[in-house]
Amino acid sequence: MAEVEETLKRIQSHKGVIGTVVVNAEGIPIRTTLDNSTTVQYAGLLHQLTMKAKSTVRDIDPQNDLTFLRIRSKKHEIMVAPDKEYLLIVIQNPCE
Amino acid sequence: MAHDAPSSSFPLGRLLHVLRLTAQMPPPRRPPLPSHADSLPGCFLPLSWSACAQCCVDLKSCQTASIVTADASAQVRNHADAQVQTEALEPVSVQPPSRCDIPRLAAFLRRVEAMVIRELNKNWQSHAFDGFEVNWTEQQQMVSCLHTLGYPPAQAQGLHVTGISWNSTGSVVACAYGRVDHGDWSTLKSFVCAWNLDRRGLSPRQPSAVVEAPSAVLCLAFHPLQPSHVAGGLYSGEVLVWDLSRPEDPLLWRTGLTDDTHTDPVSQVVWLPEPGHSHRFQVLSVATDGKVLLWQGIGTGQLQLTEGFALVTQQLPRSTKLKKHPRGETEVGATAVAFSSFDPRLFILGTEGGFPLKCSLAVGEAALTRMPSSVPLRAPAQFTFSPHGGPIYSVSCSPFHRNLFLSAGTDGHVHLYSMLQAPPLTSLQLSLKYLFAVRWSPVRPLVFAAASGEGDVQLFDLQKSSQKPTVSIKQTQDESPVYCLEFNSQQTQLLAAGDAQGTVKVWQLSTEFTEQGPREAEDLDRLAAEVAT
Repeated sequence: MAEVEETLKRIQSHKGVIGTVVVNAEGIPIRTTLDNSTTVQYAGLLHQLTMKAKSTVRDIDPQNDLTFLRIRSKKHEIMVAPDKEYLLIVIQNPCE
Repeated sequence: MAHDAPSSSFPLGRLLHVLRLTAQMPPPRRPPLPSHADSLPGCFLPLSWSACAQCCVDLKSCQTASIVTADASAQVRNHADAQVQTEALEPVSVQPPSRCDIPRLAAFLRRVEAMVIRELNKNWQSHAFDGFEVNWTEQQQMVSCLHTLGYPPAQAQGLHVTGISWNSTGSVVACAYGRVDHGDWSTLKSFVCAWNLDRRGLSPRQPSAVVEAPSAVLCLAFHPLQPSHVAGGLYSGEVLVWDLSRPEDPLLWRTGLTDDTHTDPVSQVVWLPEPGHSHRFQVLSVATDGKVLLWQGIGTGQLQLTEGFALVTQQLPRSTKLKKHPRGETEVGATAVAFSSFDPRLFILGTEGGFPLKCSLAVGEAALTRMPSSVPLRAPAQFTFSPHGGPIYSVSCSPFHRNLFLSAGTDGHVHLYSMLQAPPLTSLQLSLKYLFAVRWSPVRPLVFAAASGEGDVQLFDLQKSSQKPTVSIKQTQDESPVYCLEFNSQQTQLLAAGDAQGTVKVWQLSTEFTEQGPREAEDLDRLAAEVAT
């Protein structure tokens, strides 16, 4: 339990990180540093997008698989680390 | 010669009957012509069709097989009642920690942590996206005038546009006609006109709705949710609410001329959500008699006073030294009001004395005034800011930062204040004449627009230049003043401004004024943090 919290705190305290969300395989957030409504939005939308990205990669080459997903927007960058059981979403405000 | 066939509803029966008749007749045979024309002189032509004459004509018929019909009856023996109802979606919330599998979560985080930290570091140092911008929408380079609207009968009377408002859907713009320089007000009828810009066949000289008001309307505000309700403040001190979708009887509520009504012209009206019910709204009106009144519409068409505040000189907080008013009046006239977007009880009042006041609806102290009122009047002021050189005509609170607000007045200056300190953060001279309106942009944190007495609408971008306006739009050709302006919060590229010639011009702003840049919110925070030491 403490290890989980420490790891998340290390990631959250990194330079520029705005928020961190851990989502389970059903798309339900289980850990977050953002407020409830934002968390639910990020979890639902990014879960769907990650599934789509994964199937895209697999369709192109069945031997390949998704390892990391990054979305760059005007205001910040969203990074998703996917896994079989969980999803780690980190939102960072990169230095311009 | 056909007998009258027994009439049947089925025409097929008739056909059958006719066919039966014809079947009894022998096949028609043409009388044979002489095979050769002996008696006729001349040439001899063998007639070939005589062979055909022998062939009989066959009648063929076709018919669909007769349709089989049968009668049967059915009846429900058992029935049951059932009801269906949608339920509000249970908001998905974060699962409590006890429900998830801690060791598996820890293992997952161990697996991904290194990769994520590496990517975060790379991102922090990366210059890959420097200067990279994507244009999703068509870029508009210039500011252009989309519509020029006016109501000829009002313009013929020489009325000015004194108030302007966009409705909740952003498709209707309404303007109030009146006179700011207080001409012959007692016989002056004025108008509230509305144009629906999304309607095809928009006629610039013909508003889609016109309402007559008993005296000059000085300010206007559309209801935040109802697209057709609009409140207006009159020169006589009354506040009226109209429903523009009812042309035959648009007046919904009025304050009437009671003891509670303002005794001076109403400077501004604002709709506020009721504290308990967020979908019901009340009307707040401020006037130069020093009163800030909150009205609630009740069923009989009457606006009833629910709360009231009065500004009295003795009760103003002494945060700055104020000039002693020469006539020794105790009331402080309020000329403008703006509510904070972050705290619904907090508002800023602009006064005739030129100093903005920070006020709150949640105060308890009674006002030391002898003005009659059915509801006890309270003193709302909590903080006084440094004054302008003349009366303030307009205030606007930033929708992006909780402490910043703008005020503009007759000294031609716009002051940017932070609510944390009395002197302004910046003071910009925009005009040599009066400034009548100032509004923050609803989409760009660092942009605001000001309406000047020289007939210009000036757009300021604090990111580009903090000294001079980025764009100065000339609205009137003869330099008559622009009295009011409003941004459209639904269609963010539109800005409406009304002037002394009675025209409302809807300007389409260029893309630089409607798209937020990447670091604007941070720049605004930095600006607000420059507190003078």
